[in-house]
Amino acid sequence: PVTPSLKVGGLDLDYFSPKEYIIGGTTVTGTQYLDKDVLITLSKLTKGDKIVLPGEATSDAIKTLWAQGLFDDVQINIEKFVQDSVYFEIEVVERPRLSSIDLKGISKSQRTAIQEKLNDKTGKIVNDNLYNTTSAIVKKYMLDKGYFFTKIAYSTRKDPNAENSVVLEANIDKGSRVKVQRINITGNKDFKAAKLRKFLKSPKQFAWWRFWGSGKFSKEKYEENKVKMMAKLQEKGYRDATLLKDSIYQYNKKKVNINMDIYEGKKYYFGNISWAGNAIYPDSILKKVLTIEKGDVFSEERLNKKLNGGGENGGDINSMYTDNGYLTFNIDPVQTKIYGDTVDVEMRMYEGPQYVNNRITLKGNTITNDKVVLREIRTKPGQKFNKSDLIRTIREIGQLGNFDESKTVPTPRPNPADGTVDIEYAVEEKPSDQIELSGGFGGGRIIGTLGLTFNNFSLRNLFNLKAYKPLPKGDGQKLSLRGQTNGKYYQSYSFSFSQPWFGGEKPVSFGVSAFTSLQSNGLNSDDGRLQKIRLNGVTVSLGRRLNWPDNYFQLSHAVSIQQYILNNYDGYLFRNGTSYNINLSQEISRDSRDSPIFPKSGSFIRFTIQATPPYSLLNKTNYATASDREKYRFTEYHKWKFDSQWYQRIAGNLVVKAQAQFGFLGQYNKAVGQSAFERFKLGGDGMQGFDFLQGSELIAMRGYANNAVIPNGADPRIAQQSGSPIYTKYVLELRYPVISSQQATAFVLAFAEGGNTWNKFGDFNPFNVRRSAGIGARIFLPIFGLLGIDYGHGFDTIPGVSEGGKQNFTFSIAQQLGGF
Amino acid sequence: CKSRFEKLKASNDVAKKYQEALRLYNKRDYSKALVLFEDLSQKYRGRAEAEDLNYYYAYTLYRLSDFTTARYQFKSFADTYPASKNAEEARYMGAYCYYLESPSFSLDQENTYKAIDALQLFINLYPSSDRAAAAGKYITDLRGKLEDKAFENAKMYLTTGPSNVDNYRAAVIALKNAQRDYPDIKYAEEMDFLMIRAQYLYAKNSYVIRQEDRYNEALALYNEFTENHPDSKFAKDAKQVKTDVETGMVATKQELALYAADQEKYKQMLIKTKKVKDTVSTKPTNADNTDIKN
Repeated sequence: PVTPSLKVGGLDLDYFSPKEYIIGGTTVTGTQYLDKDVLITLSKLTKGDKIVLPGEATSDAIKTLWAQGLFDDVQINIEKFVQDSVYFEIEVVERPRLSSIDLKGISKSQRTAIQEKLNDKTGKIVNDNLYNTTSAIVKKYMLDKGYFFTKIAYSTRKDPNAENSVVLEANIDKGSRVKVQRINITGNKDFKAAKLRKFLKSPKQFAWWRFWGSGKFSKEKYEENKVKMMAKLQEKGYRDATLLKDSIYQYNKKKVNINMDIYEGKKYYFGNISWAGNAIYPDSILKKVLTIEKGDVFSEERLNKKLNGGGENGGDINSMYTDNGYLTFNIDPVQTKIYGDTVDVEMRMYEGPQYVNNRITLKGNTITNDKVVLREIRTKPGQKFNKSDLIRTIREIGQLGNFDESKTVPTPRPNPADGTVDIEYAVEEKPSDQIELSGGFGGGRIIGTLGLTFNNFSLRNLFNLKAYKPLPKGDGQKLSLRGQTNGKYYQSYSFSFSQPWFGGEKPVSFGVSAFTSLQSNGLNSDDGRLQKIRLNGVTVSLGRRLNWPDNYFQLSHAVSIQQYILNNYDGYLFRNGTSYNINLSQEISRDSRDSPIFPKSGSFIRFTIQATPPYSLLNKTNYATASDREKYRFTEYHKWKFDSQWYQRIAGNLVVKAQAQFGFLGQYNKAVGQSAFERFKLGGDGMQGFDFLQGSELIAMRGYANNAVIPNGADPRIAQQSGSPIYTKYVLELRYPVISSQQATAFVLAFAEGGNTWNKFGDFNPFNVRRSAGIGARIFLPIFGLLGIDYGHGFDTIPGVSEGGKQNFTFSIAQQLGGF
Repeated sequence: CKSRFEKLKASNDVAKKYQEALRLYNKRDYSKALVLFEDLSQKYRGRAEAEDLNYYYAYTLYRLSDFTTARYQFKSFADTYPASKNAEEARYMGAYCYYLESPSFSLDQENTYKAIDALQLFINLYPSSDRAAAAGKYITDLRGKLEDKAFENAKMYLTTGPSNVDNYRAAVIALKNAQRDYPDIKYAEEMDFLMIRAQYLYAKNSYVIRQEDRYNEALALYNEFTENHPDSKFAKDAKQVKTDVETGMVATKQELALYAADQEKYKQMLIKTKKVKDTVSTKPTNADNTDIKN
């Protein structure tokens, strides 16, 4: 037989008689970007080394180079022999590297999500492994999203931006998202399959009537929900319930079936519930709070809720202790015995000492003075520790408006040695000043507005230049200034100041405000055709918080003096003269809203009575014959207002707001008639706009134009100008927050409103209202206040008013929250 | 056309920039000097000139009243060049910047605590320095501020007493705590006096059956006060409070006696009713109404 031999360069390499050579040199060809020396080192064919040929060294070299995964082809050639030396040539074909993966055929969000998972692939070599792993990742992701039959085709193209790099193009055919045809459940005895399917929140099996909701299958959600489904069973007392196995299989191209095999186990009940470690409250009281009796269906969730609560309202054993000083209270329900279908539970408690509040400190107030916050804190030194007070304090600090409520953190630090607890409240200041600066075009002239509100003003530092940053701040007083003018035609200036703790002893607020406004046809005062109305007013008010019937109540009193000067001015009951309005108002309100900007729960109720002295009953004027000047010199009326708002979270962050308002302006004396001022104007944005005069009250009603909702049959000219004496309004609003951060709070809303006005109480019918509905959005920015836009459609045409009184868009700026 | 300064700023001639920065500094044009120093402090890193440069850089910030950055620069100077002739001064200035940043006592005192620590560190490092005395004085100043805070916040509970009776008790506790936290507080005497007043008001506004004990506590506080401050300027006021306490106690005793009499009458009535009940069956009376709320 011929011996296998290799002839290279005339030399015969005989496999039966290998010979030793010295490597004279190695060259590398075919590389583009790889370092040649590195390849030689890897091949171990280094110059000067001895090598046996034929032998394993050359095949090892090829194996090692292959193993790098960098090449499409590797060859080792013997270039030549020179005496005892051998010269090698390594010939490689380099593979390109991956610069990026271009995913096609899927949505942008899917692409970003998958890209993130594929990030580590770049820089690698494009080979089968890459295709396989990429496919696996993409398919897995698409599977989780409900695409069961994803197909991927690859192609590569040169990356023009990088050398020897390719872009891998993955053309993904995601197919259709599968739905679930049927969910088969086996192993269930006590629960009907339909009931179990109900427990499984997603996916839902196919049903012809399920045309809302996608019904699409997401494996991710399924995995999550099947665990929840079993938890639900356990919650119902089946504490052994487990999912034995489940499988998903194809039903047709667009549908899959799911099989679930479950083990229900038996239903467990509470057995004996015993208490250990309680010295303060006897078993009987604890039992009453627990409300779980022997024989009740065993549910850990229910047990936990009753032990440690979950809501803020208390009613659980933990709150009972922590609201009574037992700060370090701890309870652990131990299942001591399980026999048959009964679970005995022992409540092991550690009551610990009853802590008394000691040092109450504040941290983080870089602008607001200590006392402004400290006086609002409900946990006081010497009181027993109370968790509910602690939580209420967070709310109260939030209501000051100077701090970020979500960053108010109380930290109780118990000192077990002496049974006291120090509580530190960490707060974070937020900008609370508001500025309103606007220029607009109204009545054929440019109108400018400047409004400033300082919510953390310090009056005592007004003359202390050091405290200016940029204004004297930190005493929690409120100062606002506002001016609006377009020159001769319209001017309005107002000022208000309020101090929450007047005198510093009690939470009695003191407020003073003043305004002056003027509207005219712009003619000079010596012109006979001049039409003008001027209003001046000053109000002083006192308010205080009540502790009875509960501490959400507030009572306030105000005295107000206003002067109206009319000069040939139409639209009121008289055209010329001066009228004074001196009134006293009383208001009682209850505010339990949980947040000033976007309340999610709580309510706000307000009842106000405002009255002037009954001049006509005191003086001897015959009003039937008196001149206008005499008749209207002193305005007299009594006014009743009621407002109630109610907020409730219905699902997730979706909040419903319900509001009802009512206002009535009454007269003392028929002969005098109804007051020309202080009436209600319903409709529009309710804002103090260009046509605003403080002689009336503006009530917003979306879907209608400003002041458009006038009584049936009333003279539109008068009714729109001076307003109407009776109104009612109802609002139902759904609100959903879209942004909630320190920088901004924004929510969208849908509303339905109904409201109307009447001239006589005899005509009043609270159900005969003008209706509207629409949608809107609000955004609260710390500097600008609340900005809003609404689109409303009014359903009822108001006779006599232009365009039926309807107006679709309303804008609102810095509107008083919860205002009338 | 760029100004000379702008041109220089853009140029790479560091030596010239340095010269100009110093010139501007000496001319008190600190904001312009700062621009150059900021730029140079990067470029001179690791060079011999960096020492002086950083020293001036820190001072420039200080002159511009940017104490937060200045103290950082002073501290990093002192840390980087501990052997420098200016190290002591920089350490001192760093602490002094903290001192300047300490706000009014009624705000968060974080910087006050830091200033005290920094000044104390300076005194520990350079006990024989001329500046140690000044540093000591500043520490006293800052401690005074903390004392003001403790005093005013404790007194606040007394002031706001009318809004909530518990605030009077809180005042006594807070005043005691303040004395415990600052044993040599300058307001010690006044605080001792205020404690009596707070305790008196607490007793006076309590439910009758609790009053006696609480008045007694007020008396105990008064006795302590006269012992500790034999000739206090508050002696007269304290005496007045004591008189009020005694008057209050008499009133309490009277009220309690009245109450006891009422109770007795009620008991008698009950016995009578019972007697009636023994003979004629009547509706049971509600005997639980007598509980007094406390």
